[in-house]
Amino acid sequence: MAERSSAEALLELWKRQMEEGTKAWTQSLGQAQTADPSHVWRPFLDQGIAAWASLMAQAPANPDLMAQWKQFLDQWIAAWGEALERAMGTEAFAQALGRYLEQWLSVQAPVQRGAAQAAEATLTALGMPSRSEVMGISRRISDLDDRLEGIADQLQALALRLERVISAGDAPRRAPSGRTPQKKKRR
Amino acid sequence: MPERSASADDRESRTDAAARWREEAVRNLQRMANFATVAADAATPVAGATAREEVYRKRQARLYRYASSRTRRIPLLFVPNLGLSRPYIFDLMPGASFIEYLTKEGYDFYLLDWGVYGPEDRDLTMGECVTKILPKVVHKVLETSGAERLSVLGYCMGATLAASYLGWEPGAPVAHFINMAGPIDFDRSGLFGLWLDRRFFNVDQVVDTFGELPAEMVKAGMKLLKPTMELSSRLNLWWNLWNKDYIDGFKALNQWANEYVPMPGEFFREWVKAYYQENRLVRGQLRYDGRVVRLNAIRCPVLVIGAKEDYIVPPECARALIDAVGSDDKEFLELRGGHISLIAGRSAPVHCWPRVEGWLAARSPNARRRRDDTDGGVR
Repeated sequence: MAERSSAEALLELWKRQMEEGTKAWTQSLGQAQTADPSHVWRPFLDQGIAAWASLMAQAPANPDLMAQWKQFLDQWIAAWGEALERAMGTEAFAQALGRYLEQWLSVQAPVQRGAAQAAEATLTALGMPSRSEVMGISRRISDLDDRLEGIADQLQALALRLERVISAGDAPRRAPSGRTPQKKKRR
Repeated sequence: MPERSASADDRESRTDAAARWREEAVRNLQRMANFATVAADAATPVAGATAREEVYRKRQARLYRYASSRTRRIPLLFVPNLGLSRPYIFDLMPGASFIEYLTKEGYDFYLLDWGVYGPEDRDLTMGECVTKILPKVVHKVLETSGAERLSVLGYCMGATLAASYLGWEPGAPVAHFINMAGPIDFDRSGLFGLWLDRRFFNVDQVVDTFGELPAEMVKAGMKLLKPTMELSSRLNLWWNLWNKDYIDGFKALNQWANEYVPMPGEFFREWVKAYYQENRLVRGQLRYDGRVVRLNAIRCPVLVIGAKEDYIVPPECARALIDAVGSDDKEFLELRGGHISLIAGRSAPVHCWPRVEGWLAARSPNARRRRDDTDGGVR
């Protein structure tokens, strides 16, 4: 029993640390200040190591500790996930993300343009079709495919209509019993 | 009952502890052995193993029909998302495949694989998908199955596309519609909704720069949405490393989770502007080819499935379809898990797939044909 209670005590201690640590990080992120990891984690880490050493000295290690450790890590990750989600769910974060993306794209745009122009010039010099030409051909093939499909659909609809007309024309000629009526004899 | 002595209890407790230590030691040895295998074995599991045939193609899109006993009269069309990820997650591996599950239940299963779009497809729009590709695909399903109506199951963005189609074409021969984690009310679309807000996100700049939404940006967005996901999955892998079945599943899912695909530029522009930023679908302001998309024109039985921990499409975002449609028979299910675990993973075959199948089966009471009547097609 002593083993179990010591393991549970350890788990409780880590949970408490996790909650306090997460709170400290959330506050740091919320205040949009540069977080100092050592400042936030050092007290909890020292406290945890001391407690762990003391508990290990009191009781022999318990195999259940592994499962509890895994459980603790899961909860720790989940708590971090929640804290980050809260921080990322603010307009301040969305604005910062948008600004970062805008800056990155404004750098990317001339790079992309330059690369495309260089590739185009190289292919032209080698007498090979450029990317835009290949894309143009691909689009034309796609358009052609659309048209062919349209024609095939129309032909199918026409064939269906023709079939109906033929079967409608055949119907009066058939006897009610389904036999073909006899032709009238010419006088 | 005779009282047990303290020494007997103590002995039993020690035996238990010894057994648990032994078990843990064996698992650790297996972990080490399997770690070497995982690290050295680059072979990826075979995905998409269920037999199928291609029945239609349009641009990069392919319509596949899967082999099954086809004991259900009404065929089922599955519409997944366009771009972002590949659809082999729905047929991940034998024994862990949504498609395999439904085909074994006798459904005539069709998958619309939108394909991987390249630079030549930058002009593909959502309007084209809703008004041209989906109607054609529906027609092909009916033509090849010989059925008069079909069921439509949309997953993620595929459900939004399918809902848009059904609202645009109320006369579509659709018997049932299932929205599985598909966003409908974008005012409730969680973090993505906030990040893509027009005040912060300039979609024109992205599309004008790249001509598409590059796969790298898709990946960055998804990873940012849940930064602890990678750590969590690695920890779970380590914990379950002794279990061969878990490793196979992990490898298959991990391969899929790291294979992102781009989204055509104009499609992405429309997706962000009309759906995320202006929320036109649920407001009845979406218009294709001069016709308004009216969700309240959907009258067929509707099932909406949301996942409690879905951070891509929060359950309330998908649930909005229930209030929007004009159907009398409608149901919302909120299941445990996340966006992906609805459709793949260990809990999906237990919690989600049977609910989907049960809902469909309950609405097709006379659907089963005689076993001797199966000739490969439903007539």
